[in-house]
Amino acid sequence: MKVSRLIGLAIAVMMLLSLGLAPAIAQDCDGEVIELEFMNWWGAAREALMDTLIGHFQEENPCIRIINQVQPWDNRAELLATAAASSNPPGIIMSTRPETYQFAISGLIIPIDSFVEAHGTDLSVFYDGEIGLQYWNGELYGLPMPTAGGLTSLYIYNKDMLREAGFDPETPPATWQEMEEISAAITVADPMGVDVMGAQVIGGIGDGDASFVSWLYTNNGRYSSDDGRTLLFNSPEGIETLEWMINFTNNINGGVENVTDFFQDTAFAQGDHPWYDDQIAFLRINTSFYGHYNVNDPEGYADSSHWGTMLRPYNADNPDATHAGTTGYNYSGAWAYTIPAVHSPEKQEAAFKFAEFIGVHPLGGCAFLFAQSRPSPVKECNENPAYYEVNPTWSVVLEGLATDTAVSITPVQGQLAEILANAIDEALFGEKSAADALNDAHAEMQELLDEFWAEFDADNM
Amino acid sequence: MQASLKAQRSESDTSWKVRLQEWWFRNRALIGYAFIFPWFAGFIIFDAAPFVYNLYLSFTDYQIGTVGTPPWIGFENYTEIFTEDKLFGKSMYNTLYYLGFSVPLRLIFAFLIALILNLRVRGMELYRTLFYVPSVVPLVAATVIFAGFLNTRYGFLNQFLVLIGATPVRWLSSPDAIKPSLILLSLWGFGGQMIIFLAGLQSIPEDLYEAAAIDGGTGWHRLIYITVPLMTPTIFFNLLLGLIGGFQVFEQVFILIGTHGGALQAGLVYMLHVYNKAFRDFEFGYAAALSVILFLIIFVLTLMVVYTSNRWVFYGDAQDDEA
Repeated sequence: MKVSRLIGLAIAVMMLLSLGLAPAIAQDCDGEVIELEFMNWWGAAREALMDTLIGHFQEENPCIRIINQVQPWDNRAELLATAAASSNPPGIIMSTRPETYQFAISGLIIPIDSFVEAHGTDLSVFYDGEIGLQYWNGELYGLPMPTAGGLTSLYIYNKDMLREAGFDPETPPATWQEMEEISAAITVADPMGVDVMGAQVIGGIGDGDASFVSWLYTNNGRYSSDDGRTLLFNSPEGIETLEWMINFTNNINGGVENVTDFFQDTAFAQGDHPWYDDQIAFLRINTSFYGHYNVNDPEGYADSSHWGTMLRPYNADNPDATHAGTTGYNYSGAWAYTIPAVHSPEKQEAAFKFAEFIGVHPLGGCAFLFAQSRPSPVKECNENPAYYEVNPTWSVVLEGLATDTAVSITPVQGQLAEILANAIDEALFGEKSAADALNDAHAEMQELLDEFWAEFDADNM
Repeated sequence: MQASLKAQRSESDTSWKVRLQEWWFRNRALIGYAFIFPWFAGFIIFDAAPFVYNLYLSFTDYQIGTVGTPPWIGFENYTEIFTEDKLFGKSMYNTLYYLGFSVPLRLIFAFLIALILNLRVRGMELYRTLFYVPSVVPLVAATVIFAGFLNTRYGFLNQFLVLIGATPVRWLSSPDAIKPSLILLSLWGFGGQMIIFLAGLQSIPEDLYEAAAIDGGTGWHRLIYITVPLMTPTIFFNLLLGLIGGFQVFEQVFILIGTHGGALQAGLVYMLHVYNKAFRDFEFGYAAALSVILFLIIFVLTLMVVYTSNRWVFYGDAQDDEA
């Protein structure tokens, strides 16, 4: 038989086979496979984990094909805004709480209450504080994953450095005053800046608002009222908090420039952070750090005599203050999976199925977060006893989540945060006193907030 | 027979060519337009139309999620910029500061290097290439390299300062040092201007220098009385490009200090403010108004420079040329 005939025969067989298979697929998927572009920021390090999650989802939902679009962190806001506002956005978007609110109020995403009802999704599996952050104006816009909690309430600390400085490594500081004492003993500075740092109480230049709000709650202060209409941060507790942050930063770390320079061009996720070189004793973390620590320094992570987790210290001079964390304030927190409004009902339905899988399925976010030794917004997931094996400080993590308080914000949170960050910079650089900086910022921010609510109320009359 | 056919074909070819030439001549204007059409189409689609649309948006309250026609608000955006926006003044000041130092410094630096590279020295082609190489390095890569140089603790610049006994500088974290750092970085890409200067220097007639030498002119005299005056058209050209580019400085600032603008927002340049308004606050109409204002400032400044150029740019003696 000639070669050409053989090829012809092979093609014919393939065509017959494909004709035979096609009806089978069509039967399963009703003639159509829905493609869902999944825009997310889980990064290259966790892409394989996310692919595994997607694989499990597609096994259960063969008619939905998820296209995992991992995005770079740089220019995130720009990428997200242009994608969400375009006429052809991704099928499902991973967004933070302020972004979710912004998109919700702009009509770019849809509320998912009707899907929740139709699918019988049990929202009680989530911690109230976690699912609560995803509501705007009484409507639910996304299911959470990972936790918004554990973003500010926890510190990891280096036991070896405490031991060397003459402190008990098993008794980390519980109060501002104790942390100050230990940090002063550990910090080493020279004309080039800080060589070894005890603790940072501020993220760095331009990042002061998130640090301030986190410390504010450990001094029994509040950022805003429950209804989000009144800003409360310039209270006596707020002023005392900022003064303490400034004094700590200037007296122990040698100024905010030193803090900024100390962390310049480093990232915990990439393994070049001062933590890995025993150059910082107390590090404010979010719970993603455990996974990064384990990946970048598995030996260090496995050695529980080397490091521990502690709760964010509180102001011992304030009898009402205690350990506290905040959720839903930070611009990079309270993630959810939101569904663009422009898509067809079928695609939105598929997007919800995927969001639900990520949110509540044991092989979804639950497994994904366990693999990173970090908690889930689903209560039952965190009750897995194996967590104590993969994260030696798991009990403190759970304790930290319990101290978290939800912060009320609005869609204009990005602009408010910018004003507050600038005010705190002015105080840190000595341009204004702490009281003046906070009071000036409060006046400007409240005006902006009042404008927002006036417009919102007029639209919703 | 074959020769006859060949002759006929040759005649036919000639007449075809003649006809084509005649057609070409008759339609030369059309053909000219056809040649410039790709550029013209690109200009309309990618420059003029977006410009007009941007102008329109600047009078609207166009925000993220606006569906259909954005609401027309007249001059409200412009009023807000001039009466309420604190960062407008700050970003404009930062940009003018940057411009005021970076443009002249870069011009002087490029001109001096071009003068040196215009000398007749063995291996000059190699030196010229070496000096031009930084200009072909992408701006993003150059900025990342500079970020390493400027690192307070480990950067080359501070290590050098410490070595000579000077005080290290917090290049990117001190409000006093951020703008000088950006100006320093702006010198990196001097190669483009240097090449233009070099071309200008090589077009100066040699006999002018010979005449000056015969009259006893020193090197300084030749520079001041021959080179600089004859280079003024090139200086003018580079100045205009520098001003226009300087007002639009963005990428290097964005990479070096982020969208916030650094300590006390000392590095918040105008384009960064526009970017923040558009992509962080999602106020596209407002950002469009900021862009229009920037355009007008650049336009007016360019007109002023062009207008004053009659007084300091030397294009040669027109009467002599005609004679």
